[in-house]
Amino acid sequence: MTDGQENRLEAGRESAGTLGPTGSARSMEPLRSSGTTDPEGRTGVGQRSVLEVEHLVKQYPGADVPVLNDISFRIPKGKVFVVLGPSGSGKSTLLRTIAGLEPIQGGRILLDGRTVESGDASKGVRAPRGNRVSGTRSTDLRTRIGMVFQSYDLFPNKTVLDNVTMAPVLVQKRSRDEARKEALELLDRVGLADRKDAWPNELSGGQRQRVAICRALILHPEIMLFDEVTAALDPEMVREVLQVILELADQGLTMMIVTHEMAFARGIADHIVLLDRGSLVEESDDPERFFTDPATERARQFLSTFTYERRRGDGVGEQAHQAGQGNV
Amino acid sequence: MHGVEILLQPGVFPRLFSGLWVTVWIAGISVILSIPVGLLVGWLMTIRNGLVRAVMRVYLDFIRIMPQLALLFIAFYGFARAFDWNLDATGACVLVFVLWGGAELGDLVRGALESIPRSQYESAYVLGLDSWQTFRRIILPQAFRRMLPASVNLATRIVKTTSLAALLGVIEVIKVGQQIIDANRFLYPQATLWIYGVIFFMYFFICWPLSLVARHLEKRWAHD
Repeated sequence: MTDGQENRLEAGRESAGTLGPTGSARSMEPLRSSGTTDPEGRTGVGQRSVLEVEHLVKQYPGADVPVLNDISFRIPKGKVFVVLGPSGSGKSTLLRTIAGLEPIQGGRILLDGRTVESGDASKGVRAPRGNRVSGTRSTDLRTRIGMVFQSYDLFPNKTVLDNVTMAPVLVQKRSRDEARKEALELLDRVGLADRKDAWPNELSGGQRQRVAICRALILHPEIMLFDEVTAALDPEMVREVLQVILELADQGLTMMIVTHEMAFARGIADHIVLLDRGSLVEESDDPERFFTDPATERARQFLSTFTYERRRGDGVGEQAHQAGQGNV
Repeated sequence: MHGVEILLQPGVFPRLFSGLWVTVWIAGISVILSIPVGLLVGWLMTIRNGLVRAVMRVYLDFIRIMPQLALLFIAFYGFARAFDWNLDATGACVLVFVLWGGAELGDLVRGALESIPRSQYESAYVLGLDSWQTFRRIILPQAFRRMLPASVNLATRIVKTTSLAALLGVIEVIKVGQQIIDANRFLYPQATLWIYGVIFFMYFFICWPLSLVARHLEKRWAHD
């Protein structure tokens, strides 16, 4: 690791309260609109935050630049927080750090006002061997943050019902009967009660993803993280999954959603942010406004990659240029 | 086709079966003991400690490179005598086959464990399962399924390799066959074909059920 990198890491870690040398004013700007944080990490705004992230820095060992650089935000209880951004911007990594799957090198993550992870520049220098997860969170803490992955990742050696009841029985020590009962209720809610004895490989992608949502919900997490949950699905199956997530939002579940479905983001978000190259470049409490009249040029550029329009006559080059940049 | 009468001689089949029992006993005990050894070796091959992994690597390579016959001779004539172990020929065979089976199975276990995608570990992690629960309930069952065909293949190789035990003086089925052939060399000069033919089918009927069981289990576990 070069000196320059270390400085950058330090900057992210030390900058709680004050701006570090590399924490550009630009990336800090959207933060102010969401209420200031005092040194204790308590937010000044009235609503209780389920999740708070402060000056988070994530850098992979050997990488020149951090994947996430000085990210701060908070998610109040019952709100839906949507993260947009081009691929490679660090959206998934952000969710993974919150879930404890990746160590962070700076800043901290608070759940219900309590620090669950603090950055440490020495963390993650040694990658875990094989496929194991290097995280050190307590099993109890892990059940308080639910996560659903893009590739569903059901356990192929368990039936649908066993996939859902496994963690409540093994981790939360709930009775098998009670877990079964709740699992069946959840499966019923997502329309899969009749498939309870099926094996994961007998289900469609959309069905698997709904089971994966049930598997996370049964633990009663304080917040659910959705990592591009429809990205691997056929278009017809996207809706059945997003419908489930919409219903959860209506029931007041706190959620953080990374998605490429713009119409869905627009419909479900209470709060929307744009992540680009590891920094929050725009943050908005008004999703409608974000989509119709974004405050930053970067957001305008990003959103333009989702619309198609022929410039008959002139300006062809410009449009192509913008679309290309959005995909960096 | 003469010489077939040898098979009707009193005592021929009972003797062959008693030899077969020795073969099955050595192979059975070796395979059964190889399983825990293989699981342990496979697990040690995937742990973080570099020294342990290096030791396991050397162990596996040594066992693989050495001919099984050389290992048998080292165990029986070398170590047992040198250190005054009370190790009979059958015991030496079991020891060598367990060391060999354990190493080979260990490598299969390692390969199977490493083939389970990272996302399975991650799903288990976010659900709160601890590393033992993850290993025992998620990773191991999937790994078993993946290593099953190669493991059955290994078991049949162990069964076949028990024929080397004859060279340590163990009277197993091949040795019994040779004795019968030698004793009847003048009466039934064509006995060789018939006796070894019977032995051939005896091996076949030991190994074939293994394949059947493997195929059955594979079908039952075919959920990934």
